[in-house]
Amino acid sequence: MPRFTVAGQQFELEQSEIEHCLDGRLPDPVREHYVVVLGRRFPPKQVLACATGLDRADFTTHQARRILKRLGFVAARATEASGRDGVNDASGEGPRAGRQAEALRPYAGQWVALAGPTELLVAADSPQEVLAWLARHERRAPYGMFRVPTSLTEAEGGAPA
Amino acid sequence: MRFDFLELPGEAGRGALVRPVVPVQVEDLEEAPQLCLVDSGSTANRLGAWLAEATGVDLDKAPETTLHVGGVTTIARHARCQLTIAGRRYDAPVSFCDPWPFAFNLLGQEGFLRFFRVTLCAAESWLEVEPEAWS
Repeated sequence: MPRFTVAGQQFELEQSEIEHCLDGRLPDPVREHYVVVLGRRFPPKQVLACATGLDRADFTTHQARRILKRLGFVAARATEASGRDGVNDASGEGPRAGRQAEALRPYAGQWVALAGPTELLVAADSPQEVLAWLARHERRAPYGMFRVPTSLTEAEGGAPA
Repeated sequence: MRFDFLELPGEAGRGALVRPVVPVQVEDLEEAPQLCLVDSGSTANRLGAWLAEATGVDLDKAPETTLHVGGVTTIARHARCQLTIAGRRYDAPVSFCDPWPFAFNLLGQEGFLRFFRVTLCAAESWLEVEPEAWS
């Protein structure tokens, strides 16, 4: 098991343990850097703090990124791609040539709050979780919130199967 | 005020599905306007009942009816609340429905189209919403 020293303490960390630790947690707002855990973008410091129990002030974003990359997580800057996890070249119909649809596709069935047409703030299983996240982080979703349909039928006004 | 249609993921290999939606602030829930589908076939505004709870709209003594919407039987509680659309805040009749398993809340005739003039351009995927002069 890989060993790391953070804030003078030694930790043995594994990718699967970190995934387990973050399962069901909502990502905090991503500013500049992120790592992808279970298909979601998390701030590196949130991930390492969760995995080690350390306070986020005990280490830097750079340290967290380096450790998480060594464990096999994808790490990147938020400005490197306009879509989620690099989805930025959709082509198709619609006012945004399909880019908005592609940005929303991974969140089918979830409630989302958007800062802009393709700028996701948070995705969660219930609207109450989305509201709580916005309140906790003092964020606004000027583009709105809704639940991403899971199927064509739902998008056309039908109930979920 | 003009709004682009919302693009939704279609089935794999097919283009996006576009829907005419409008952001609606319910009561003072400024931080999270709800994207609502403009539905000229709906007689009333229909929102998920969770929104009444989240915004403190009292439904205890609200009259209720049973509705069948999109294959779902739901209890609609009828109340008035403050909606803000296209910069106009107004007192609107709303049916708060439970269950409401649909992806979108609906803006219908009585609580929306009566107050706003709506121009739809499906060819260019936008709609314009302007408050009626009298409202």
